[in-house]
Parts: sequence; C-alpha cells; structure tokens
Amino acid sequence: MSTVIEAKGIKKIYTLEGGLKVHALNGLDLVVENGQYAAIMGPSGSGKSTLLQILGCLDTPSEGSYKLAGQEVADLTEDELSGIRNQRIGFIFQAYNLLGRSTALQNVALPLMYRGTKAKERTRLAKEALERVGLADRMGHQPNQLSGGQKQRVAIARALATDPDILLADEPTGNLDSKTGDEILGLFQELHEEGRTILMVTHEEEVATHCQKIIRIRDGVVERIEEVKDRQMAVFTGDIP
Amino acid sequence: MFLENVRTALNALFSNRMRSLLTLLGVVIGVFAVTTTISMGAIATAGITGELEDFGSQKIIVFTPRDKPLAPNFSDDDIEALSRLPLIVQKTQDAAGFAKYDDKEIQISLSGTSADTADTKIASGRMYNNQDEVYASNVIVLTQDAVNNLFDKDVDPLGKEISLTIANSRTSFTVIGIEEKSGGLLGVGTGDGGTIPLSSFYSVVPYAKKGEYGYLPMQVDLDANVDDLVAQVKSILERRREKDSFSVNTIKGILDTFGTITKILQTILGGIGAVSLLVGGIGILNIMLVSVTERTREIGLRKALGAKKNVIMQQFMIEAIVLTVIGGIIGVIVSIASLYLIVAVVPFLDKVIISPMVILMAFGVSVVTGIVFGVWPASRAASLSPIEALRFE
Repeated sequence: MSTVIEAKGIKKIYTLEGGLKVHALNGLDLVVENGQYAAIMGPSGSGKSTLLQILGCLDTPSEGSYKLAGQEVADLTEDELSGIRNQRIGFIFQAYNLLGRSTALQNVALPLMYRGTKAKERTRLAKEALERVGLADRMGHQPNQLSGGQKQRVAIARALATDPDILLADEPTGNLDSKTGDEILGLFQELHEEGRTILMVTHEEEVATHCQKIIRIRDGVVERIEEVKDRQMAVFTGDIP
Repeated sequence: MFLENVRTALNALFSNRMRSLLTLLGVVIGVFAVTTTISMGAIATAGITGELEDFGSQKIIVFTPRDKPLAPNFSDDDIEALSRLPLIVQKTQDAAGFAKYDDKEIQISLSGTSADTADTKIASGRMYNNQDEVYASNVIVLTQDAVNNLFDKDVDPLGKEISLTIANSRTSFTVIGIEEKSGGLLGVGTGDGGTIPLSSFYSVVPYAKKGEYGYLPMQVDLDANVDDLVAQVKSILERRREKDSFSVNTIKGILDTFGTITKILQTILGGIGAVSLLVGGIGILNIMLVSVTERTREIGLRKALGAKKNVIMQQFMIEAIVLTVIGGIIGVIVSIASLYLIVAVVPFLDKVIISPMVILMAFGVSVVTGIVFGVWPASRAASLSPIEALRFE
C-alpha cells in the first residue's frame, strides 16, 4: 500500500494577542496509507482540528515537513495549494460552512467552478453528488431551509462533487442526533469502500469504532495508533430526517 | 473563467439584495451629494451675477456719492448737457408705497420714468407711451413678482384697477403691462415693483421734487466704447458740478465690486464641494469596507474549496465595479433631476448648469473609491490562510 500522507515533526505555534505562544502541534509525526479510514481522537486542545486543517492544506505548519502523495507541501505556492485543495481533498467542516444565500445545488457546484468545469457538467455532477447523499428533492433549498443533517449532507456532497481521493471530516456528526450521525457514518463507510482515504476528527468513542484505526493525539503529538476491533459497519439508507 | 466570475459576482450581488442595495445607496448618496452641491454652487453664482453679466454691462450710472449726502441732485440741465453724447439718460425717480387689489396689499417700490427715456421690457400688455406721459395717465407697468403677489392666479391683471398709497395719499392706477423678468437676484424686473410715467409720479408722490434726480441711469449702445463715454460724462459733469459731488459707474464696475463677494461665494462653495466629495468618498469607503470585511469567512470558504487568490479578487472587483457604476449613474440622474426641480422652485435661479467636469469628478472619485475599498479588504482576506479567514468573526 502506498503512503498518501507523511507528516514529520509538524509544529503549529499560534501567537495569541499579548504575545503568548500556544503550541497546538508539537513535533507530530503521522503516516497514513492510501485508502485508510481512521479517526483522530484526543482531548479538547490536543491539536486534532489543527492537524486536520494542516493535512487538508487549509493551514500551513510552522515547522516540519508534510508530504501529500510524495509532494512537499511547504514548496507549494498559495495558488498551488488552492489547486490541491480543489483537486485532491474534500474537507467537511463541523460548522458545514455553506454559502447562506446560495441553494444546495449552487453550494455543491462551487468547487467545480473553481476547477474550471463547464456549467452544464457542473450542474450534472452536483446533482449526482446530492442524489448520492439522498438530497435529490432539496437541491433548490437554501441552507436556512435545511435541517442540520441535511446541511451536513450538502457539505459532504460538496466534498464529493470533485471526486477527491482524500476526505477530511472535522466532527462530521458533532452537531447531529445519533440516528442522523449513523446515516452519515454509513455514507462514509460507502466512500471508504470506494477506496478513498478518510480521516475523521471525533471525540465520541462510539463514532470512532466505525473506523479502521484510531489515531490518539495528546499535547500536539500522536500518543498512539490503535486498530479497531469489532468494527461497526453503519449502513447508509438515505433516510435522514 | 472571467465570464464565470461575472456570473458569480452578479449572483453574489443578487442573492444578497439588502447588502447590495445598501452599498448601492452609499454610492448613490455620495455621487448625488457631490454633484448636487457643486452644481448648486455654480447655479447660485450664475443666479446672482448672471443677469448683470448678460445684459447689464452696457449701462452707465451716475450717483451722488454716498459719503457726500449734501451733494445736490442732478437736474434737467445736467441731463440736457449729457444728451449731446450718444446715450439716453433716463429721467427717473423712486418712491416706496403700497399697492392694493381686492383684499391683498403689498409693499411696492415705485419708479417714475419718463416715457421717452424708459427702456422697460414688456412681457405682456403694453408700455405707457408719450401720450400717457403728457396726460399724466394713471397707468402702471408691474413686475411679474408684484403681479404674482397682488393677484390670484386665475385673475388677468391687465386692465385691473389697483390703488397706490404713497405718503397717505391714495390713487387708482390701471395695470397696462407686465415687465419682462430677467434672471439674476440683482437683475432688473425682480422684486415687487411698478413703473409709471414720470408726470404721474409727480402728481401722486407728494414729496417728489420735479426735475431733480438722485441718480442718472444711461443706456449705451451695445457697440459703444463705454470707457470713452464714461470719461466724457465725467468731463461734462465736472464742468457743471463740484468735483467729487458725483461718481460715474458702469454696471461692469458694480459687478467688479460684487466680484469679491462672488469670489468668496465660489471659494466657499468649492470648499463645500470638496468636503462633500470627501464625505461621499468616506461613505463609500466605509460601506465597501464593512460589506467586504463581513465576507472574510466567505472568502476563506471559497479559498478552501480551491479558489485562487486572483479569482477571488476578480469576483470582488466585478462586484465593486457593478455596484459603483450603477450607483454612480443613479446618483448622477437623481442629482440632475433634483437640480431641475430646485431651479424650477427657487425663483431667482433660472438656469440649470451641470458641468461634465463635476459629474466626471464625482463619478470618478466614487467609482475609484468604491473599487479600491471593495478590492483591498478582499485582497487582505484572500491573503489569509483559508482557516484564518474562516475563523474570522
């Protein structure tokens, strides 16, 4: 199996107002194989979200080396990073981060526009992605007309529309009830079976047992990586309130 | 990609109608305020001085100096002496009184001018003639202002009898004509006034001194050499009167003394224009800055989804151009409309002056300010890492 993510000695230091320095990541090493489905867990403030953002090229490490599919990210320009985020990575935010005044379809089509896909093809792909997450009947709705679970699925559809090989999800079930959460996990299971690499930050042990591995983070470093025994396999039915 | 971005920009503008309208309003008000204030300045200046410059420069007026109250008035002999020159000396005297029609009474400045020397321009009706002068007919030519104030709108003043009260003596006069009104606050034919034959003036104004004139207005041919004539008038009067007991002025000369006033006026109005330009610019700056800064998260999200910095900049540039150009055009249109309205309503303003320079300047400053302060915060936001921009509160 080939390595898709290879992080070595990653540090992320935030300077707060008043000059106080916070080490969110403190020389973290991590290797993720292609196609792996892993949960990232750790107490709050352990740096798990920061790690996910750096792995998703949304932020850059203060120190250390991060190779994505063999490419050293530090060597890339801002615009090349934009390209990588667009082509290879699907990022699912805990807060959904949808454009409030745009329809579900427009939201999902957005990354395709930045890829240069023609309008017709864009609509087709966006529709496909929305159908996939069971929102065929909600395409014209704006986020404020959607439930939390529906918004999360729009966000997932947006991440899927570009057909990325890496999916990064920050607490994707954090704001959802358990039934809706299970549906989302069922969707992830499907995506995993398609061979995508999935990393998911969560603080719920139960959610993490759906993954193959649990990466435990503490104080900005990887504490240990556990194999999940008795892995749960949620099934996506498309029946989400 | 550019066309896609135009679509994205228009989409963003349309889907946030309230924000777009407010921004648009900011630009409209900015452009409107600047165009209107500066144009108003030009229109008001023209309203004050315009008439004098247009028609009045070919007139010579002889006064007794203000600092010599005991200097004798001018006499018929003086006029006789001046008549050798190629000019017409007006025999005219002034008095103040009251005019009454029905139950309306107004204060009126009355002037008696002999029919053969009067140069009153008539808008409707007729001017009194030499016969009226000989018979001292009780006929009067009123200014348009006096007509407006004395008669109801639906009444035709011509042929109506009004009563004039001067120094407690009342006489009936027939309105035979309405004087043409020329523009300008200082122009002729404005204010509540009436002109009657000089002989009638003598008979109705008890204190009128026959053959004595406080000042002598002289009509000069338009192609005459005014400076030359002024010198000749001076030399004739110097032989007849004490030195320094009179002063010879041209309307142009009077205008020059007004020049200082209008220059101050223009400076003040220019200052107001500059301030309104600044205020308008800051208003636009403010609303652009706020509305774009507010969208830092959106910019972060677009970047997170793969938008390159230039693409984002382009989108905000297009949005700013669309808003400021549309706002600018609306502002100019509203401004021109209100200038026409103001000129129609304010009596002494009669000409709408809109300088293309003013419009270009107001438009240019607003559009440039709008674009700079629409794009600059977007550029700042697009330079942040997506996660920083997304975290922006």
